[in-house]
Amino acid sequence: MEEIEEIIEEILEQIDANRSDVEKDLKKFIDYGVPLEHAKEAILHKYGVILKERKLINIKPNERGICTVAKVIAIDEREVEVRGSKRKIYRGLLGDETAVLPFTAWKDFHIGKGDVIKIRNASSSEWEGQPRLSLSEWSEVEKVDHDIDLVKRPPQRYNLIDLRAGLSNVEVRGRIVEVEQREVNIAEETKKVFSGIMEDETARIRFTAWKDFELASGDVIKIKGAYVRSWRGAPQLIFDENSEVEKIEEEIRYEQKVVPLYKVVEAGGGIDLCIEGVVLEIRKDSGIIFRCPKCNRRIREGICEEDGNVEGIPDLRIKALVDDGTGAVDVILNRELSEKILGKSMDDYLAVAKEAMDYGVVYEEIVNKLIAHPLRIVGDSIQSGLIVTIFAKDVELLAIDAEKDAEELLMHMGG
Amino acid sequence: MREPAWRIFAAEYNNSEHVVEGKGEKAPKYVITPLGAKVNRLFIVGVLTDVEEIGVEGIRRRARISDPTGIHVVYAEIFKPEVASILADMEVPTYIAIMGKVRIYQPEEGVLYLSARAEMAKEVNEELRNYWILEACRNMALRIDAMREAMNMENPTAKKLKESGYPAMIAEGVAEAVKFYKDVDLGHYELLMREALSFITSKKEIKKDFGEEEEKILRIIEENQGEDGALWDVVIEEGKKQGIEKEIAEEVIASLMEKGMIYEPQLGKLKLV
Repeated sequence: MEEIEEIIEEILEQIDANRSDVEKDLKKFIDYGVPLEHAKEAILHKYGVILKERKLINIKPNERGICTVAKVIAIDEREVEVRGSKRKIYRGLLGDETAVLPFTAWKDFHIGKGDVIKIRNASSSEWEGQPRLSLSEWSEVEKVDHDIDLVKRPPQRYNLIDLRAGLSNVEVRGRIVEVEQREVNIAEETKKVFSGIMEDETARIRFTAWKDFELASGDVIKIKGAYVRSWRGAPQLIFDENSEVEKIEEEIRYEQKVVPLYKVVEAGGGIDLCIEGVVLEIRKDSGIIFRCPKCNRRIREGICEEDGNVEGIPDLRIKALVDDGTGAVDVILNRELSEKILGKSMDDYLAVAKEAMDYGVVYEEIVNKLIAHPLRIVGDSIQSGLIVTIFAKDVELLAIDAEKDAEELLMHMGG
Repeated sequence: MREPAWRIFAAEYNNSEHVVEGKGEKAPKYVITPLGAKVNRLFIVGVLTDVEEIGVEGIRRRARISDPTGIHVVYAEIFKPEVASILADMEVPTYIAIMGKVRIYQPEEGVLYLSARAEMAKEVNEELRNYWILEACRNMALRIDAMREAMNMENPTAKKLKESGYPAMIAEGVAEAVKFYKDVDLGHYELLMREALSFITSKKEIKKDFGEEEEKILRIIEENQGEDGALWDVVIEEGKKQGIEKEIAEEVIASLMEKGMIYEPQLGKLKLV
């Protein structure tokens, strides 16, 4: 019976209804042998029209028929592929006096940052252990006039390396590496934004500030109440008028350390990343390629998609799959770095290919020289598809001292 | 997401008895090893000891690759003729690197044959093989820690392990392994790892040919053994005079004993057999 009491409590939490009515309905369902969970859903469904507005803090993952009023803290549009066809979805953050939650809207509800909206019939899923609201075809969204004071819960502290798109109310500290001001047009209004790069001991990250905090490169600051969005796949830190920024007296410098690839894959990329891994595949478009002299695009058989018949300019590049056993990324090496790692110049390879009358020999040599070899790479991630792609700024073959490392590992194990 | 290529010792991989399927269409299959590796793709470096032709088409190959703990069985299938031909042309023994997918054969309930289906094969050198052993050990050490933590948990879940700082994939694999294998003898795997590492640290001496030193030591023992055998310290001392370092002399004595050419009639004395 206790279980039934609990279910009734849960139902009453979500709807405005008379307790005895709910009890009566529930009893009926139970008499018919309907399992309790189903009975609960059926009753909630029945009262669907008078859903009670709920605070965000009370929303749990995997619920349906959610009704709430919240403020749009951030929203951006992205294209996703659903069963082969492209469609636009909207991702962002919603907040009220009690919490901030990430949300996904599966259609355009014509809402923008700062709007306060009333939502009916939303659902929730689980993401990174917290609920995420989902606004679907069947949800209703309407703008309301009153404002909401956003939750003032203590922000959570993060190192920059651990920031993931979708996090909100974070606290970080770091040094501004560079910052620049630009103007953007949002809803016919010109706004100043400040974007740049900041660093702490663990990583560098791109940031955007939607308010003039008078930041200058070299400043060391503490930011409370920032959030994290995804920009070209990689996390980007965002702060605005709802955030607190304070200059602090602290010495902070990025110490470039090797990041395990699972972290790079989880974050979706990053900048000034240092990674190590073994080359397991050389992608087919590696080796000598030809570029259009006008647009620099790669051309095939002397024809540029843009400029037609052109005299191609040779270039050397390597696209390698690098894997450290915890994750895998693609790494692109430009001509200079390819020459460095191969120990030969592009002209050497052009001569070799001419001799063999086949550019394929260059690919073969890259395979022979690099496959199964560990590399250390420093670079920035670029917009990429299914696999994170890192554009290398430096590369070297990893020096192996297996004996020393093995001894260290043995010592670490305790003799 | 691209599946990472697990570096995994043959002994651990071949001891696996659990296979799980991922979610969604074209869901990949994962082998859950006793230490919680969740393997779909793997990277193996070892010594190629045997290649045989299988099937009637003359293309497929089955290869055996030895690592410090056991033998990996690797197949090159008909749709990877370039890999099969690399294997066919390789001499044995050769250091080899293989990247491939798990190959699961389950003829009946409770019987599981695990091997690898190669997507890439390449001859490598000893240095790269040693680097692989190191990578395999580092990953294994992390999973042994995670297993120990999970086995001490009231109700181990991937989420709790992730909160302890383990990578998501290891957390998921370990939670699944603890559920399936229950009590795993971690000491056994620690010993295995230690042996694999000492393979790198002591290999130099093993590989060296001590023929000359062996003869010298044998002569020294013969000259000094008398009735009861030559004193250990005397042999070492004499060896030093003839240019054999103490560590090497001890190594040679141990190896001569192993070969049954000398013995210790009493502690600290050596005699020819």
